Amino acid sequence: MTASLATKTLRGLLHELRAASPSGCIKQSLASKYVIAQFQQYETTDEQFCKAKDEALFLGQTYLTYLSSLRKHEEIKKEYHGRGERSVRETADLVGFKLPSDPK
Amino acid sequence: MKSVLSLLRTKSIYACRFYSTSSTRKRFYKNTNVLSSDGLYEITLDQRKLKTPNGNPFVVKSEPLAIAVATEWNNQKDIIVRSSMHLTALCNTSLDNPNHLSKPDMVNYLLNFLPTDTVLFQSQGEADLAEFQQNEWDPVIEWFNKRYETNLKKTLDISPPQLFETDRMNVSKYLLSNSTETLHGFIFAVDTLKSIILACATIDRFISVEKAVYLARLEEEYQLRHWGRVEWSHDLSQLELQARLAASVLFIHFNRAEHAKKEKLSL
Repeated sequence: MTASLATKTLRGLLHELRAASPSGCIKQSLASKYVIAQFQQYETTDEQFCKAKDEALFLGQTYLTYLSSLRKHEEIKKEYHGRGERSVRETADLVGFKLPSDPK
Repeated sequence: MKSVLSLLRTKSIYACRFYSTSSTRKRFYKNTNVLSSDGLYEITLDQRKLKTPNGNPFVVKSEPLAIAVATEWNNQKDIIVRSSMHLTALCNTSLDNPNHLSKPDMVNYLLNFLPTDTVLFQSQGEADLAEFQQNEWDPVIEWFNKRYETNLKKTLDISPPQLFETDRMNVSKYLLSNSTETLHGFIFAVDTLKSIILACATIDRFISVEKAVYLARLEEEYQLRHWGRVEWSHDLSQLELQARLAASVLFIHFNRAEHAKKEKLSL
């Protein structure tokens, strides 16, 4: 059985919250408690409140986009952001030269 | 000479101080929490209450918004990176209103995007691109015209699209019905997308945040097919836009949800 969209969103949210948390633990996290409570609340809702359910799911997905975009943005920045000037040795290695002090 | 030196010195001190407060500040708290009283929510960093840059108390009306902001502060690692805290920034802007914007100012600002909306300027030179834009953008324009009772038409050349006074009126009527906080969210969303049509489509849940950002960058996406994708430029800007738009959509919905709840009670 494939997981429903709501279940996927919930899993994604908890995953992102865990990844974003400095301690890596979200047991005490207000956000994770709130998100789980929201999903439980709308799970049992009748079809006549369908609109509210859709809206809740939309907000869940939007928050998921928010968290995952921030995380990926940070990852790319970390990888490519300048770390200052290269040393003489690093530059020499880069273009395949040797330093005068290196053995021939 | 001496005075010039001292001037330089004071200048550099200011520069340092500014730098240290604006971009790098160590995390000085352990836990964040949310306090509530009388339907208002505040954020605490350990024992201290969070304040806005202008020194006003940081108070929001929505519980999920307060939780999201507290989580944002809690997710900072060793250094507080304010540039990545879009929800906090939005709340601060709406609480402090640093540019002293009134509601008509904000509506005017938003309406000025309408005649130069991204999705109304379509290409005619390249057949592929024209078809691509037509397929992706036209449904959104159609939806907007229906939803806001406007009659916007795209333009295919350099002349600006036709805009009737009734179009402006209808959109401004809708915008004016929003609270000032919500309008701050609108401005953030429209500034991100450079399109009021796409911003409204996302806020009204017609398209998702990812889709809206994709549509705002449509021509770039088209060029990427030919020239390739560069992670540190294209992906970076796409993710930045997605985070900003998602923050403003959440901010608007959380600010509105309170009103919806109150309406239901009074029925």
